[in-house]
Amino acid sequence: MYLALFLFPWVLMYGLSTLVMNHRAYFTARYGSGAPPFEIERTIAYDGVFPDNADLRAISRQILASLDLDGAHGVTRGKEGAIVINRNDLTSPRRLTYTPANRTVVIERMASRPNALLERFHRRRGYATGYRLDTIWAVTVDFFIIGMVFWTISGLWMWWEMKVTRRVGWSAALAGAGTFALYVLTI
Amino acid sequence: MTFSHFNRRTHLYLGLALLPWFFMYGLSSLPFAHSAYFDARDAAKKLPLWTLRADRTVDVPVPAAGADGQVDPKDLRAFGARLLQDAGISGTSFGAYRQSPNQINVYSHTFRKSTQLKYFVDSRRLTVEERRFRWDHFLTGMHARGGFEDERLFVRSWSVIVDIVSLAMIVWVASGLIMWWTLPGHRRWGLLTIAAGAISFLIFAATL
Repeated sequence: MYLALFLFPWVLMYGLSTLVMNHRAYFTARYGSGAPPFEIERTIAYDGVFPDNADLRAISRQILASLDLDGAHGVTRGKEGAIVINRNDLTSPRRLTYTPANRTVVIERMASRPNALLERFHRRRGYATGYRLDTIWAVTVDFFIIGMVFWTISGLWMWWEMKVTRRVGWSAALAGAGTFALYVLTI
Repeated sequence: MTFSHFNRRTHLYLGLALLPWFFMYGLSSLPFAHSAYFDARDAAKKLPLWTLRADRTVDVPVPAAGADGQVDPKDLRAFGARLLQDAGISGTSFGAYRQSPNQINVYSHTFRKSTQLKYFVDSRRLTVEERRFRWDHFLTGMHARGGFEDERLFVRSWSVIVDIVSLAMIVWVASGLIMWWTLPGHRRWGLLTIAAGAISFLIFAATL
């Protein structure tokens, strides 16, 4: 019970985001296909100096840290040497483009859409970002996975302890298992 | 039947009926969350993932792009269906994608088997490749299956069940909270646990 009480925000998030992802066609019709567009938030002059032979990752971390935006991100080199950083912020993802020629950083923020927000939550996982907070989030995802398997097993055990529910319970469980097996074999 | 009784029975029977889906979503989240581990484990086997089944020339009219340079998704899907027919594949779910101006890919899948077709427009060449069965792919394939694009009613009914499972998760939260509240001895620690979970989640939402 206490595991479920602690993890209830995760249960709600995964339930709602699954609904949204299952009806992606509706949101595509409403907002158009692809990711939400970026809107320019601000353009700033950047006069930071990078160490000699600094790789892209080191440069992106320095830029993000100096703008107080450090966190999980991807980085690529764009046209004319521009460095494009996609900051994977859960609530407001940003794209930062640093142009060495004029030493400016254009910061763009992704337009807000509830379905995209839920989908970002659903897809956030893994230990590869190198950021401590992301690692802790990945641990909570693992914790949630263990919770789901545990609830399945403990739920079966609790049902079996209540003799009065056994007959209807068997019907529900067999109907569910039979339907699931039919899908696995046919589609 | 009292409300409390109804609430408890709904929680229980919904759980028992949807147990295979709930278990599957839990178990299949592992290969999603630890994909690097599963990929490394499979790579150690040194077996090719895709096996070429056919490579031949096929003369099929390619759907033309519109003024925006994009092909109408319906035309692309019809083209994909035509290629699958040519490859002798039927009764599977599939998606057709324009990989590049010169290449159209069609992915055909059932829970147990996946096939990819590549059509090269300039040479009119079609390759058909089959994917080796992997348990982690089997599970993640089930996990990711959804949407209502497939024309077949039975296939779409899987997505109806996905909706039911999603709604059931919300019902389990609500019915679970009601059940907890009816246990006065657990209210204080329960409230603390709920607050700890909600605050942790909000911190992640605000800072990740």
